[in-house]
Amino acid sequence: MISIKQVHKYFGKLHVLKGIDTEIKEKEVVVIIGPSGSGKSTLLRCINYLEQYSQGEIIVDGIPLTGEANINKIRTEVGMVFQRFNLFPHMTVLANIMLSPMKVRKITRIEAEKIAHDLLKKVGLSDKDNAYPEQLSGGQQQRVAIARALAMRPKVMLFDEPTSALDPEMINEVLDVMKTLANEGMTMVVVTHEMGFAREVGDRVIFMDEGRIIEEGTPTDFFTNAREERTKNFLSKIL
Amino acid sequence: MEFNFGLIAQSFPLLLAGAVVTIQITALSVGFGLLIGMFAGMGRISKLWFVRFISTVYVDFIRGTPLLVQIFLIYFALPMIVGTRINPFVAAITACSINSGAYIAEIFRAGIQSIDKGQMEAGRSLGMSWGQTMYYVILPQAFKRIIPPLGNEFIAMLKDSSLVSVIGFEELTRRGQLIIARTYGAFEIWMTVAVIYLVMTLTISRLVDYLERRYKIDDKH
Ligand SMILES: Nc1ncnc2c1ncn2[C@@H]1O[C@H](COP(=O)(O)OP(=O)(O)OP(=O)(O)O)[C@@H](O)[C@H]1O
Ligand SMILES: [Mg+2]
Repeated sequence: MISIKQVHKYFGKLHVLKGIDTEIKEKEVVVIIGPSGSGKSTLLRCINYLEQYSQGEIIVDGIPLTGEANINKIRTEVGMVFQRFNLFPHMTVLANIMLSPMKVRKITRIEAEKIAHDLLKKVGLSDKDNAYPEQLSGGQQQRVAIARALAMRPKVMLFDEPTSALDPEMINEVLDVMKTLANEGMTMVVVTHEMGFAREVGDRVIFMDEGRIIEEGTPTDFFTNAREERTKNFLSKIL
Repeated sequence: MEFNFGLIAQSFPLLLAGAVVTIQITALSVGFGLLIGMFAGMGRISKLWFVRFISTVYVDFIRGTPLLVQIFLIYFALPMIVGTRINPFVAAITACSINSGAYIAEIFRAGIQSIDKGQMEAGRSLGMSWGQTMYYVILPQAFKRIIPPLGNEFIAMLKDSSLVSVIGFEELTRRGQLIIARTYGAFEIWMTVAVIYLVMTLTISRLVDYLERRYKIDDKH
């Protein structure tokens, strides 16, 4: 589904990604962990070209990331959920979800509304359709953001620390939605510090440090017998 | 010398008519300026260097030269280029719009840049183009924030529009001059002209305050 080959990324002189190689299969749930500044967000953002990588190749669903047309095509196939939600504050919840399907997929308002209502139901917020984002709690906003991304019917969903900006009591409501998605067979790449989620839902865990993939494996393997010193070090700090 | 109230009463209707013209030219200029400024403001932060270059040259040139000179340039130089005379009204509106556009461009640029970067990223990640995200997401939010500076620009334009009197365009200031040439009541007339300007600018600034408050409440929902 996603093929990443020898991807390098520089910010000026700062070498942030140093040759990332990996394949993400259809329906796979990949969890990326690693210390702050290791390049997790940058890698995720390269996958939908919010960040332009400097070298290498990323192919999403058979479409290479080159040229403006391809990039927009990929972005409709790849949904992204941000740490800080990034809902559109001047629009209602419903309008947030309907905007892109109407403008990009060119579907009618009636169809878009139906999709939006279905998705709100799925994330448990049917009664909030006419609310504005700032009237919602963080957890609710993040669930709307997930619904908004899903409205484009993406084949892959990217999550960049979706629960890091949330109060502890709201984390689970968002993780639950993500678990449901995973169970339905969505291909997902998740950057998170929620190790419980990684264990329970992840098919594979990738550990990054200083712009490299240090180690990867199934959650059971990864958490119980990490091979690399750096991985053990990191795990001892967070577990 | 005595203060001649009769003269004020007598010329007041003429001056008021001039004030209406002043408002018209200001509204038209700021209106066109808004259009020019919106594109030039986006141009200033464009990824394409030549768009950025052209927008920057425009903004710098206009803000770095006096409006009076710009008015003369348009009124006297333009006919040499296009080959026909242009009437004072067209010249006045053109000069003021181009002038206003440059200041409004900076207002737009600042307004757009004040919107969280995450908004553009969210729009783009949903597959919308840069233009679509600008139009549906960024500009509506930026508009609310730029209402106060736009109000200030309107007030500044209203005052500066007095400069077009030099090409004989009969707005408020020019009307005053013409009345004085006939009646020699310089003090009375300039006083009246000043008060009319003041009433207009104060009214507009109150209106802007009101709009700003309303949008603030709107924001909260
Ligand atoms: N736009 C940018 N310009 C310059 N440097 C950047 C930019 N974005 C990220 N960086 C740098 O790139 C490195 C990797 O950043 P990245 O955000 O990918 O890390 P991360 O693993 O997601 O960290 P965190 O856990 O803190 O989110 C950091 O050193 C960061 O300072
Ligand atoms: Mg990050």
